[in-house]
Amino acid sequence: MNEIPQVILRLGQAYVPFQVYVNRWEPMKALMMGTIFPELYRPYYSEEHRRG
Amino acid sequence: MLREQLELLNNIKAVEFTALELNLYLDTHPTDQRAIMDYNASVQEWERLRAIYVEKYGPLLPTDIVEGSSWRWIEGPWPWEIDY
Repeated sequence: MNEIPQVILRLGQAYVPFQVYVNRWEPMKALMMGTIFPELYRPYYSEEHRRG
Repeated sequence: MLREQLELLNNIKAVEFTALELNLYLDTHPTDQRAIMDYNASVQEWERLRAIYVEKYGPLLPTDIVEGSSWRWIEGPWPWEIDY
């Protein structure tokens, strides 16, 4: 038997802020960091690094 | 490979990376004047450095060879032979 759900859940919505170009790293530093945009620099750390 | 040559090669890579990043940014922000200006400047700098490299050390791309009766493409070190 199909019951109408009592709680109407809202659908998921994605929101991504629009990037605004403010400044950038100079080319050699950018190459080392993997991006020219400082605001996009998000390095991964190992579990070991995280604990320490 | 000489230190001077390697330095120039690394600078070309760095400037090329900056141009590529601005290229990707402009794909979603095609009217950003500052990004366009910086992109154009990066491409100009890339072309300037490339011209110096090609003149001094030989082709970076096979299409850089415009004259001569010998095939200069195989004269330089292969990428895996360069000691960074």
